[in-house]
Amino acid sequence: MKRFHRSYAVLAAFIALICASRPPAAWAAEVGVTDKEIIVGAGVDLTGAVANWGVNIKAGMEAVFNRVNEAGGVHGRKIKLITYDHVYQPPKAVANAKRLVERDKVFIMMGHLGTPTTKAVKEYLEEKQVPNIFPATLASLWTTSGKWHVGDLATYADQTWLIIDYLVKERQFTKIASFYQDDEYGLDGHLAGKARLKHYGLDYIAEVDYKRADIDFSSQAAKLKESGAEAVILQAVYREPPRLAEQCHAVGYEPLFIGPSPIVVEKTIELGGRHVEGMIGVEVYPLPTDPGPFLDQYRADMQKYFPNLALDTTNVYGYQKAALFVEALQRTGRDLTRDALLNAIAGIKDWDPGWGLKYSYGGDDRRVMSRSARLVMVKDGKWARMGEWMELAEGGRR
Amino acid sequence: MVEILASQVVSGLATGCVYALVALGFVLIFKATDVVNFAQGEFVMASGFISYTLLIWYGLPYWLVFFVTILLSGVMGVVLERVVVRPIMSAPIFSIVIATIGASTVMRSAAGIVYGYDVLPLPTIFSKDPIRLGILNFTIMDVGVIGCSLAIMLALYLFFKWTKTGMAMRATAQSQTAAQLMGVSVKQIFSLTWAISAGIGGIAGVLIAPIIYLDPNLGIIGVKAFAGAILGGFGSIPGAIVGGMLLGVLENLSGYFFNAGIKQVSTYILLILVLIVRPSGLFGAVAMKKV
Repeated sequence: MKRFHRSYAVLAAFIALICASRPPAAWAAEVGVTDKEIIVGAGVDLTGAVANWGVNIKAGMEAVFNRVNEAGGVHGRKIKLITYDHVYQPPKAVANAKRLVERDKVFIMMGHLGTPTTKAVKEYLEEKQVPNIFPATLASLWTTSGKWHVGDLATYADQTWLIIDYLVKERQFTKIASFYQDDEYGLDGHLAGKARLKHYGLDYIAEVDYKRADIDFSSQAAKLKESGAEAVILQAVYREPPRLAEQCHAVGYEPLFIGPSPIVVEKTIELGGRHVEGMIGVEVYPLPTDPGPFLDQYRADMQKYFPNLALDTTNVYGYQKAALFVEALQRTGRDLTRDALLNAIAGIKDWDPGWGLKYSYGGDDRRVMSRSARLVMVKDGKWARMGEWMELAEGGRR
Repeated sequence: MVEILASQVVSGLATGCVYALVALGFVLIFKATDVVNFAQGEFVMASGFISYTLLIWYGLPYWLVFFVTILLSGVMGVVLERVVVRPIMSAPIFSIVIATIGASTVMRSAAGIVYGYDVLPLPTIFSKDPIRLGILNFTIMDVGVIGCSLAIMLALYLFFKWTKTGMAMRATAQSQTAAQLMGVSVKQIFSLTWAISAGIGGIAGVLIAPIIYLDPNLGIIGVKAFAGAILGGFGSIPGAIVGGMLLGVLENLSGYFFNAGIKQVSTYILLILVLIVRPSGLFGAVAMKKV
């Protein structure tokens, strides 16, 4: 009889202990925001096929946050960035997003890298009502997905329209081929290009795809050569263009290679050498060597916090995202909630960060901050400006 | 069209030769010790990084780098055998195989820690400029890779056929007990087998890294080579070579006639088809037991 009572007592004590150890009541009115801190999450690729982008985007963002935190934070709150590696694989991205939202309780998801990976976490973020701010993917999807997603720069679809217009109107090419990654990233630009070509009464003379993280393109090179295309549009990242160019040249085929912003990276030139000379890219934010107060600050911050990382378009990309986010935080004020932040972003008009480009929250139902783009070309082993900034009047694929 | 096909076959043979070398590494260790070494792909990756270090960080001349890398790969093989495999030699084969998988993960992470996960270009002595020979379009790189691979395979063949050590290795593969009775030190033969396998992996690495860029995930080539070895009949040396080469050519042709998606799975479709018709692979011997 006594043992019976004792074990019940132990059980009751246990239950009481568990009940008493509930987490403390929320310290602020919003998830991820405390009196002193804002917790921001990011899922990027640090060790996979686009690691060069991931590592640098993270560094660019941290450079801004470090500087801002040292100056006391935004409205008295410091920004804490938590990043997890998804290796450019959608299933891992989902697992990491869950960790960030449920365990780390982040305020927003910032700069999530990769189109297929971000697409995989899209519905989850919407369900949990976590804003997906300035994801590191310029697919047009983010600009038309509703309240919880905000893009920052001209989309791949916009950029491909620009490319097609350039090829058809200025270079008078009629035989244009498309080499694209067979997933949401490649298809965005590829399909937008197809639509734009139709406007000129044309179509792709060859459509050649490759699987994400593929490394050999000899069959694609053969097909492209056979088609006789004058220009090949590369819906790819930084590993594929140099390899494709090399393999095309190996079979005696030398078309014009042109592609959207992900190819405009130092790595492309490092891997491709003379094979990528003359390759054209689209950039949607300045080159790290451009002049201006914003870029001076960028160079100073990178030198201070990441002196071992080379200045590259990849870190400018992360840097400008973080700078835009900080601006939005400033405008939201001390009363920080997810809705307040989204409203503040929607109110940004004609904000020039200091490089002559203006960020304006886009009207016409597109949730994006800038529609400017510029062509650049590899000249003497460096990406160099080909012309001035162009504001894309019409949008690409919606 | 024929021109394009011909150049596809040539470049397919070049990649195929590299698969063949790696497949050879698998088969050699398997024949001698019944162990499938899943770190074989990582030997390829590691040798790529070793040659990068010697070439770029130390600025050694290319030919020296070639030989030193192969030597160091061989040493790596022996180290792996002594440290990972030998202590658990009496465990079930499966455990040893899992241990090699563990070793491959360690090697990959180590490469990532030292060199980072970024992609690195590796210069090569073989130029990638195109050459035309009749209807054939190829590069010196292709010829170099095929030439080197064939030279290595010939050297191995002669080694196994005519040298005493080679014969000792064949004897150990057939029957460890009988070989021991004939005075062969089986332990030494095991170490030598691993050294040679790793060395072959090293050569494969030096040949392929300049083509497909260097990064810690390069070891994935082991999976394709493994499929090639099975295709040719796991346990058969000529089988491994033919299997690997066939795979390389087939990949390219399927990529050309179909699309990237089919190319990725062509390896495995071929494997399944061949195994349905000939379960022991193209050259594999059907095991027969006398009762």
